[in-house]
Amino acid sequence: MNDMTRVDPRTEVADVKISARKAQVYYGDNHAIRDVDVDINARMVTAFIGPSGCGKSTFLRSLNRMNDTIPGCRVEGTILLDGENIYDRRVDPVQLRAKVGMVFQKPNPFPKSIYDNVAYGPRIHGLTRTKAELDEVVETSLRRAALWAEVKDRLHAPGTGLSGGQQQRLCIARAVATSPEVLLMDEPCSALDPIATAQVEELIDELRAQFSVVIVTHSMQQAARVSQRTAFFHLGNLVEFGATDQIFTNPGDPRTESYITGRIG
Amino acid sequence: MNEKHIVKSFDRDLEAIQAMVMKMGGMVETAILDAAQALETRDEDLAEKVRQGDKAIDAMEERVHEEAARLLALRAPAASDLRTVLSVMRIAASLERVGDYAKNMAKRAHVLGQMSAIAGAGGSLRRMSKAVVEMLGHALDAYIHRDVALAEDVRNRDREVDQMYNALFREFLTHMMEDPRNITACMHLHFIAKNIERMGDHATGIAEQVIYLVTGEMPDEARPKAESVTTVGVGGH
Repeated sequence: MNDMTRVDPRTEVADVKISARKAQVYYGDNHAIRDVDVDINARMVTAFIGPSGCGKSTFLRSLNRMNDTIPGCRVEGTILLDGENIYDRRVDPVQLRAKVGMVFQKPNPFPKSIYDNVAYGPRIHGLTRTKAELDEVVETSLRRAALWAEVKDRLHAPGTGLSGGQQQRLCIARAVATSPEVLLMDEPCSALDPIATAQVEELIDELRAQFSVVIVTHSMQQAARVSQRTAFFHLGNLVEFGATDQIFTNPGDPRTESYITGRIG
Repeated sequence: MNEKHIVKSFDRDLEAIQAMVMKMGGMVETAILDAAQALETRDEDLAEKVRQGDKAIDAMEERVHEEAARLLALRAPAASDLRTVLSVMRIAASLERVGDYAKNMAKRAHVLGQMSAIAGAGGSLRRMSKAVVEMLGHALDAYIHRDVALAEDVRNRDREVDQMYNALFREFLTHMMEDPRNITACMHLHFIAKNIERMGDHATGIAEQVIYLVTGEMPDEARPKAESVTTVGVGGH
C-alpha cells in the first residue's frame, strides 16, 4: 500500500460547497484578485477580512457573478459550486443567483410592500404554484430572518418604512426566500446599530444550519464572533485562510498579525 | 510585522502593563535575596522588612489584573497582543506567589533566629536563592526581549535547582538523624528549601509564558527533571 495516496481526514470531513482555484479577477488592466484558492464549506460561516481595496468584496461578488455587469471585469481560473464551474457558458447567472443569494451593505428593499419584497424571488423563479404556498414561503422566510413577529400585522406596508435593522433583516428574508444554498453578505451590518447588528449576527449563526454563509466585514470582532473560518486578503492576494480561532489567537502570517492587531500593514 | 499600533494609546497601555510586571519582578527578586540574607545573617530587621514588603507586591498584582481587565474590555486585543495580556496576568500571578514564598522564608528566618544554627544551611539556602533569582531575572529578560532561546535556557536550568533541593533534603535528613534536637530547625529549613525549589518552578513557568507569547504555543515536551525526592533515601549510603 502506498500511504501517500491516503486522503487527509481533515479535508475529507468538511463538505465543500464552493471551491475556487487560481481565481483571478481583472478590472481592465487592474489585476484585482490574484491566484486565490479557497474552499467554502457547507453549513459554515466563512469571513473575508482585509483592508479597504484588498479585493475581498470583489472576490465575494465573483462567487455569484455579480461582477458580470461591470464593464471590463474579467474572471479567470475556476470557481466551482458543487463541482460545477459557475462561469461555464451554459450556466444562467439568474439561476445561479437563486442558489447563491446576496445581502448588501446598505439595506436595499424594493419600493414595494414587505410581502412583495419577500415574494419577489419565488415569483420570478416560479417556485410556488398557489397563493397559499407563496404565503407560506413569505412567512417562513420572515421567520428565518427573525422579522416575522415585528411585521406580521403589516405585511402590506412598504418595506422602506421599516427601521434600518428591520430593512436589513427584510433583505435577508428576501435572499433566503428562494432557498439558496449559499448566502453572500457584503458588510451586512455596517449601516446598523449595535442591537440590530447583534440580531443579524444571531441570525447568521442560525442560518448556518441550512446554508453556507460568506460574509465580508470590516469589523474584525464581527468576523471573530460569527465565523468558523476566516480568510485574510491583502493587495488582491489571499494571505491566510484558516480556522477563525487560530487566525485571531495565533495567525501564521505576519501580515495577518499586523492587520488584526491594528498595526500598520 | 510593524511594531507600532495605529492607535498609539494602545501601545502605551501595553507598555505600561509590561512595565508594571517588570517592576514587580524587581520587587520579588529583592524580597528573595533579602529573605535569604536575613536567614543567613540572622538579621531580624531585614526579615521584618521582607514581610512588610509583600503587601506592595500583592498590591502590584492587583493593579496588573485591573489593567489587564481594562485592556481586554476596551481594546479587544487579538493575536500577539492578546497573548501579551494573558501572559502578563499569568506572570504577575507567578510573581505574587514567589513573593509569598519569600515572605514565608522571612517568617521562618525569624523563628530560626531563636534557635541554634545548623552549620552551613544558611549559606546553602542563600546559594540556592541566588540561583533562583538569576533564573527569574533571565526569565523576565527573556520576556521583555521576547527571547525564546533564553527562555529555553531558564527551563533547562530548573534541574540545577531541583538537584540543589535534593542535596539539601539529604543533608537535613542527616542532621535530624544525628540529633533529634535539630528536627524543628531542620523542618523549617526544609520548608524553606522546598519553597525556593517552588520559586524555580514559577521562574520556569514564566519562561514557558515567554515561549507561548512568542510562538503562540506552550512548550509541550517534558523538560529534564532531576530525580524526585521520593526516591532519595539516606539509609543505603
